Amino acid sequence: MAARPRTLEQARATYDTNRELAWWVFMRISGFLLIFLVFAHIFFNNIQINVATVDYAYVAERLSKAWVKVYESFLLGLAMLHGSNGLRYSIEDYFRNPATRFWLKAVVFTVAAGLFVVGVMALWAFSYQQMGDAINAVGHGG
Amino acid sequence: MYRGREGQWAFVLHRISGVALALYLLLHVFDVGLVMYGPKGPFNVFLAFYHQWPFRIGLILVMAAVIYHGLNGLRIIVMDFTSWGIKYQRGMWYGVLVLTTALGIPILIKVVPEILAGKA
Repeated sequence: MAARPRTLEQARATYDTNRELAWWVFMRISGFLLIFLVFAHIFFNNIQINVATVDYAYVAERLSKAWVKVYESFLLGLAMLHGSNGLRYSIEDYFRNPATRFWLKAVVFTVAAGLFVVGVMALWAFSYQQMGDAINAVGHGG
Repeated sequence: MYRGREGQWAFVLHRISGVALALYLLLHVFDVGLVMYGPKGPFNVFLAFYHQWPFRIGLILVMAAVIYHGLNGLRIIVMDFTSWGIKYQRGMWYGVLVLTTALGIPILIKVVPEILAGKA
């Protein structure tokens, strides 16, 4: 830990470090939770069943369950934050040019934020139950 | 801890698996998001494409990356939050590798025959 800041420059460095400290703590807490969330997600969807049997009907049925919506929302949010912050660490480690760093991070954060919205919509904005009933009414089409 | 010894390899693998998983996550959310277009939408076409064997081998690598990254993440947490973690980090890394293999073998036993059998 650095000494107490005595100049504006040092203070700026320290405050930046505090924000970084918060991310540092977040990576460990979210990482710990993600172990359970991701391992179970993979077990249910890749191990317990043959993943090649996954199709629209399977996903629609899954996303119709309330607990799946809540579970996957936590997984989505934590994974997106953990993943984009990890990508930020990597960009900052390997790219020195400030402009390159800025644009790479801008792209990563924009894509991650956009896909987070896509994920939230896919989880909460549609009634797959109704879609599924409609499909069953006309018979399974492909 | 670094300088080309185990700690450095643990870091390099953590970095590579982490970047790979982050990129996979983006693709995965995009692809599952296609479910919003309904049963006649592009979702099933996309999935059928990804059920081909090269991508299923890719999924095995994703699972390996998840297991390694998760277990090594636990090692990092132990190193950061206990007084004894750094002392035992090398042994813990070998533990991570052994556990990754131990969890990977039953997955291979389950998944490889599915791939060899073709589409279920």
